[in-house]
Amino acid sequence: MPSAEDIKARIEAAIPGAHAEVEDYTGGGDHFRATVTAEAFDGLSRIAQHRLVYDVFGTEIGGAIHALALKTQAPSKIQTP
Amino acid sequence: MSSSPQFDPIPMLSDAPAAPVAPAEESNPIRDAIAEAISSHKVILFMKGTPEAPACGFSARTVAMLQDLDAPFAAVDILPDPRIRQELSALSNWPTIPQLFVDGELIGGCDIVTEMYESGELTQALGLEPAAPAEAPEAAPAEAPPLTIENRL
Repeated sequence: MPSAEDIKARIEAAIPGAHAEVEDYTGGGDHFRATVTAEAFDGLSRIAQHRLVYDVFGTEIGGAIHALALKTQAPSKIQTP
Repeated sequence: MSSSPQFDPIPMLSDAPAAPVAPAEESNPIRDAIAEAISSHKVILFMKGTPEAPACGFSARTVAMLQDLDAPFAAVDILPDPRIRQELSALSNWPTIPQLFVDGELIGGCDIVTEMYESGELTQALGLEPAAPAEAPEAAPAEAPPLTIENRL
């Protein structure tokens, strides 16, 4: 059962320069919400950015990880809501 | 309440074989049926459950946003057969449900649709009249029948 810290560590290890904030929003170890900022996202569409993160987990998404809600952004595109 | 999105339910997968999904590219009726559904509907949502009875919060939120914009859309319930999700994800290279396609292109799942809804981009992507950005609505019951998938497997 992965923890939010595990998810964060795996994203940051797999995507160079990524910073991730991950929340286990049910506390059950299978529904996570992540905000990921990475240089690697620069110039990519949202779809491509999310795919980079999903690819870290492969078939675990939909398996052990029931949900991984994502918000991605390139550092140059950070904006306050 | 929004006007009812209209579309003709089309049967899918009625010729699907009972055998396990073959790894080969050659003959894949389920994937072909999914690709056909995507290409023949301007806006199509693959979801868990139906617009009237979504079976997952992410699907419910996505339906609610489309309905809030009065966007006509076709909907496919992926739950009746696990192969639908398997083939859809293989086709779209996207692991999660829901998946929204417009003009044959994957727009995204609930997260991306929500971002686009809040920024007003979704209205543009759907080819609708621009409207003021709004908060994401709560899921509401739909009025239109969903696209049905026949299961005779």
